[in-house]
Amino acid sequence: MTAPASSGSSASVRKATRTEQALRAFHEETSLGTAYDSRLARQLWPFMRPHQAMLWVSVGLGLVMAVLSLVRPYLMRVTIDRGALAKDPRILFEGGAAFAIVILLEQVLNFVQVYAVQISGARAMTDLRSHVFAFLQDRRLAFFDRQPVGRLVTRVTNDVDAILELFASGALNSIVDLVKLIGIVVVMVSLDWRLSLIGFAAAPLVGVMVALVRRRSRDAFRAIRAKTAQMNANMNEQVSGMAVIQAFCREDAAANELDVINAEYRDANMKSIKYEALQDAAIEMVTAVCLASIVVSLGYRPVSFGTVVAFNAYLFMFFEPISALAQRYTLLQSAMAGAERVFGLLALDEVDAPERADEAASSTGSGSAFSFEHVTFEYKPGVPVLSDVTFSVRPGERIAIVGPTGAGKTTLSSLLLRLYDVTQGTVRVGGEDVLRLQRGELRRRFAVVPQDVFLFPGTVASNIAVGNAVPDRSRVEEALRRMDALDLFRRRPGGLDAKVQERGENFSAGERQLIAFARALYRDAPIIVLDEATSSVDSDTEARIQHALDELMKGRTCLVIAHRLSTIRAADRILCFQRGHLVEQGTHQELLRQGGLYAKLHRLHFARQEAAAEA
Amino acid sequence: MLFAPDIPASRIPTTLSGQFFRHSPRYGAGLILLATYQYSQYWFDTHLSRAIDAATHGDPRTAERLGGALVAVAVGALVIRVLSRVAVFNGGRIAEYELRRALLYQLQRLGPSFYRRMATGDIMSRATNDLGQVRLLLGFGVLNSINTVFALVSSLAVTLRISPPLTAASLSTLPFLLVAMWAFSRAMFTRQRQNQDAIGDMSGAVQSSIAGVRIVRSFALEEEEMRRFAITNAEYLEKTLSLARLRGLMFPVMQAITAVGTIIVLWYGGNLMLHDRISAGNFLAFFRALSRLTWPLISLGFLTSMLQRGRASFARLAEVFEAEPDITDGPLAAPEVVQGKLSVRGLSFSHGDHPVLDDVHFEVQPGTLVAIVGRTGSGKSTLAALLPRLQPTPRGTVFLDGRDVCDLPLPFVRSSIGYAQQVAFLFSTTVGRNIGYCLTDPDGPDAMNAIHSAARDAQIAEEIERLPDGYDTVVGERGVQLSGGQKQRVALGRALLAEPRVLVLDDPLSAVDARTERAILDVIERQRARRSVVLITHRVAAAARCDTVFVLDHGRIVEHGTHEELVARGGVYASFAEEQRVESELEALGDGGTRVVEAASA
Repeated sequence: MTAPASSGSSASVRKATRTEQALRAFHEETSLGTAYDSRLARQLWPFMRPHQAMLWVSVGLGLVMAVLSLVRPYLMRVTIDRGALAKDPRILFEGGAAFAIVILLEQVLNFVQVYAVQISGARAMTDLRSHVFAFLQDRRLAFFDRQPVGRLVTRVTNDVDAILELFASGALNSIVDLVKLIGIVVVMVSLDWRLSLIGFAAAPLVGVMVALVRRRSRDAFRAIRAKTAQMNANMNEQVSGMAVIQAFCREDAAANELDVINAEYRDANMKSIKYEALQDAAIEMVTAVCLASIVVSLGYRPVSFGTVVAFNAYLFMFFEPISALAQRYTLLQSAMAGAERVFGLLALDEVDAPERADEAASSTGSGSAFSFEHVTFEYKPGVPVLSDVTFSVRPGERIAIVGPTGAGKTTLSSLLLRLYDVTQGTVRVGGEDVLRLQRGELRRRFAVVPQDVFLFPGTVASNIAVGNAVPDRSRVEEALRRMDALDLFRRRPGGLDAKVQERGENFSAGERQLIAFARALYRDAPIIVLDEATSSVDSDTEARIQHALDELMKGRTCLVIAHRLSTIRAADRILCFQRGHLVEQGTHQELLRQGGLYAKLHRLHFARQEAAAEA
Repeated sequence: MLFAPDIPASRIPTTLSGQFFRHSPRYGAGLILLATYQYSQYWFDTHLSRAIDAATHGDPRTAERLGGALVAVAVGALVIRVLSRVAVFNGGRIAEYELRRALLYQLQRLGPSFYRRMATGDIMSRATNDLGQVRLLLGFGVLNSINTVFALVSSLAVTLRISPPLTAASLSTLPFLLVAMWAFSRAMFTRQRQNQDAIGDMSGAVQSSIAGVRIVRSFALEEEEMRRFAITNAEYLEKTLSLARLRGLMFPVMQAITAVGTIIVLWYGGNLMLHDRISAGNFLAFFRALSRLTWPLISLGFLTSMLQRGRASFARLAEVFEAEPDITDGPLAAPEVVQGKLSVRGLSFSHGDHPVLDDVHFEVQPGTLVAIVGRTGSGKSTLAALLPRLQPTPRGTVFLDGRDVCDLPLPFVRSSIGYAQQVAFLFSTTVGRNIGYCLTDPDGPDAMNAIHSAARDAQIAEEIERLPDGYDTVVGERGVQLSGGQKQRVALGRALLAEPRVLVLDDPLSAVDARTERAILDVIERQRARRSVVLITHRVAAAARCDTVFVLDHGRIVEHGTHEELVARGGVYASFAEEQRVESELEALGDGGTRVVEAASA
C-alpha cells in the first residue's frame, strides 16, 4: 500500500526544513513520557487518601479472587478423579456444587472488586477536578490573560480523565495478576512438578515472543492515541475553516493533509490488529501445545485424568494476563502525562488578591466611600496606564469619568475591585487599604456593569440573580419592574425563564444591557461601578436604559465611565482623564468654563449627541 | 491495497451495502480462513480426545504420533487465526479510512447553507462516533458473524458426536446469554452517551466560568461557580459510576450464565462418565469445544445491537453524503486571460426570509480601486462573499470579464477573485505556512521570498520577526496567540500572496491602528498596477483613497462617486465622514499606545 503523497512530502525528502522541525516539536505534546513517576504518584496520593478504603477493599478482594480462581481447577480435578472416575456419585455431586459456588462467588466478588476500585478512583478524580476548578477560581485576572480557555478546560476534563482511565481499565489489577501467577506456579508444582515443567518450558518462549510483540504493540497503541487526537484536531480545523479552504481553492491540499494523518491512523490500527491477533493466537497456540505435550507424557507416566483437566485450566490462566500488559503500560503512560499537565498547572502561583495587611497603608476612618492616592498602574512594565492618580469620593456622590479612548478609565474600576494590584500608591474603600480587605468582603460592596455584558448559561432570572443558587423571583421581578423592563422580558417566549444560549447571542445588545443593570439592582450594593456601552440601540431601548440608569444610581455611590451626555450632566462631579493622568475635575458647568480638555471633548463629541437629541 | 485498490475520494461507496460489496473479496478470504480455522479446532478436539484415550489405555506410541500432529495443527491454527483477523478487521479500518476521506471530500463541496444547518460539533460527532460504529460493524461485526456460524458448526460437530443429550443440556443456557448480551450492549450504548453528555456539561461549566472570569471576580461569584461546577462534577461522577456498574456487571453475568452450562456438563457429563457412556478423552474434548463456543455466542448478543447502531450511523452519515452542494462548477472552460473587470448587476440576496441585498449594481474596471462602504449590518460582508461564489451567487448577477461567474469553473472563479475575510481564520501551523497557504510547495526556494514579501506588504513582517521562532512560530489555540490585528494582517498577507486578478478585502483593517492602516493602504494602492481591488470597509479614511466609492445602506447602493463628490453631496457618506473625523480627533487626544495594551488585558 502506498500512502498518498502530502503536498510538502517531496520537500521533506530533501531535508527536514526548519518549519517541519518546528511543527514536529509542536506536536510532540501529544506523545507520551515515562510510565511511572514517583513524584507525580506522591502528588496524586493526597487525593486518593480519603478514598483509599475502597482501594484496599479492591486489592483485598483481588487477592481472595486469585485464591478462588486457583481453587477452581483443583476442585475440578477432585470431582473428576474421585467422583467421576472413582464412580462416586456423592463426590461428583458435591464437587460440582462446590465448583458452582466458587464460580458464583468469584463473579460476585469480581463485580465488587472492579466497582470498588472505580468508586475509589472516580471519587478521587472528582475531588481532583474540584481542586483544579477551585484553584482556577483563586487565580488573579492577569493569569487568564495568558492562558487560552481551551487549555484550561482540557486540564479539568481530559487530563483528569486520563488518570481516571487507570482505574477504569483495571490496570491496577496487574499487582493481583502477579500474585495469581506465583500462585499458579506453586499449585502446579505441588500437583505434579514434572508435568508442570512442560508448562514452564514454554514460558521463556512466550516471554521472548511477548517481549518482541509487546514493544511493537505498545508503539502502535501509542501511535493510535496520538493520531486520533491529531486527526480530530485537523478535521475540526478544516470544518471550521472551510470558507478559507474554499476561497483559496486548497481543497486538494487540505484533503491530502488529512489523508496523511488518516492513513497513518489506519496503518497504526492495522499494525495493532496484527499484533493483538498474534498475541491472542500465540497464547492459544502455546496452551494447545502444552496440552498436547501433557497428553503425550500421560502415555508414558500415567497421572490422573483430573490432573490433566486441571493443568489445562491452569495453563490457560498462566498465559492469559500477559496479553493485557502492553495496553496497560500505555494507559499508565498517558495517565502520568495527564497528571504531569494537571500538577504543572497547579504549580503556578498568581493568587488573586491575597490579603497583604503588612504592606497595607493604615486606616483613615470611613470619611470617604473610596479613594485613590498617588496610584500608578502598569499592565506591562514601563508602560503606565495610570500615573499618580489621586481623588476621593464621598458616600452617595456620583462621579462621571470621561476622557478619550485609552486614557485608563476602565483600569480605575479594575483597581477599585482589586482585579489587578496597583504598581504604586494606595486604593482605599471605606477608608481601608484594599490590600487589607478580604477579597469577597471588598467585592461585595460593589455592583458592576461592564461595557461588554457577559451572560452565563442559564436563564434570564438566574443571570439577574447571579450568586444566588435559587433566584429570588420576587426580587428579580422587582428589579426589572423598577427599571420598567419587566414587560419587555415577560413578552419574550419563555419569559424570565428563557434560556440564555451560548454567550447570550439570543438577546439584543440593549436587552443584554438591561439584564446587566437588573443584575446590579438585584445585588443592591452600596457602590455602583458602571462602564457605559457605546453600542447604539433603538430609541425605545435607549429610553428604557436611561430610566434604568436613574433607578440604579438612586441613593448610591456611583462611578460611571460615561459616554452619554445625560449621564455626565447628572453627575455630582466629573473626572477628566488623559493618557493616564487625572487632568481636570469639577461639575459640567465649571469644566465648560475652564475651557480645557473637557470643553474640547464636549465640543467634539457630546455636542453632536445634544444636537441629535434636540432634533 | 491487496483487496480494494485505492480509488479517488469521489468514487468511494458511502452506503452500507456499497462498502460491504467493496470489501467482499476480503470478507470472502476471511470466510475461507475462518472456516479452515474452525475446522482445525474441530480436528484438534477430536484428535486430542483420541490421544488421551490412547494414552490412558496403554498406547503411548499412538498418543505420541497424535500429539505431534496436534502440535502441528496448533501452529497452523495460529497462522490462520492471525490471517483471518487481519483480513476482516482491516476491512473495518479501511472502510473507516475511506469513509473519512469521502466525508471530507463531500464537506469541501458543501457551501454555507449546509454549514448553517449543521454545526461543527455535529459534523465532528459524525466523523468520530458514527465512523467508529461503522468500522465496528464492518470489521468486528462481520468477523464475528462469520465466526459464530463456523464455531457453532465445528463445536456441535464435536459435542453431538460425543453425546447429543449432553450437548442439548449444555446449550440450555444459550437463550439467556443472548438476551443478556443484547440488553447489556444496548444499555451500554445509552450510558456511554449519557457519560459523554455529562462531560460536555462539565466542560461547559468550566468554559463559561473562565470566559466570564471578570464578572465572576467582580461579583465575588467564586463560591457560586464552585457550587455550579460541583453539580456537574457530581453528575459526571454519577454517570461514570453508572457506566462502571454496567461494565463491571456485564462480565460476571456472562461468566455466571456460562458457568451454569459448565456445571451441567460437569454433573451430567460426569454421570455419563460414571456409567461409562463417554470416555475421559471425550469428556475433555467436549469441555474444550464448549468453551470455544462461549465467546462467539456472547458476541452474537453484541451483533444485533451493533447492526442497529451501524445502520443508524450510516443514516446519520447520509445526511452529509446526500446533501446537495449549492455551489457547483459552471459549464464554460476557464478563459486563458483574465482582465479583472468585475460587474455586478441587479444582485439581490437573502438569508432565508431575511433580505440582505437588494438590486445591487456596480462595476469594477481592471486596475482600479473600489470601496464599498457601509455600517455594520448593511450587507457588505455578504456582498464580498458573493463575488468569488463563497455564497450561492444568483445566476446572472456577477460577471467576470463579461462572463457570468456561475458559468465558469469554480476553482477558476475563486483563484481569479481573491478574498480575505473580516474575522481572520488561521490554521494551527506556523505563521509562514499560514501566509504561504496557497503555495503548492511552501518549502520551495522561492516560497520564503514570496512569504516575506507578502508579510512586508501586509505590515506584519516586523512583528513576525519578533515572535519566538519568527516565521516558524506555530499559532493557534495551543500555539502562540496573535492579537486580532495581527491575525488580520497575516490573513491579508495570505490573500496578497495568492496574486488574484481581483482582490476582495472584507474590512481587513477593522482591528489595526491608524498608522498601520495608512501603510497597508499604501501597499494596496500600489497593487492597482497588478489587479483590481474591492475594499469593503466602514472606514472613510480607507475609502478616500479609492477611485470609486459605493455606499451600501440596508442592502442597497444608495450613493456612489469619488470621496470628494460624496462628501460634497452631504448624504449618508458625508455623515460617516463627519462622525469618523470626530472620532479620530478624540483618539488623538488620548494615547494610542495604551489603548492596545488595555484592549489586550481587558
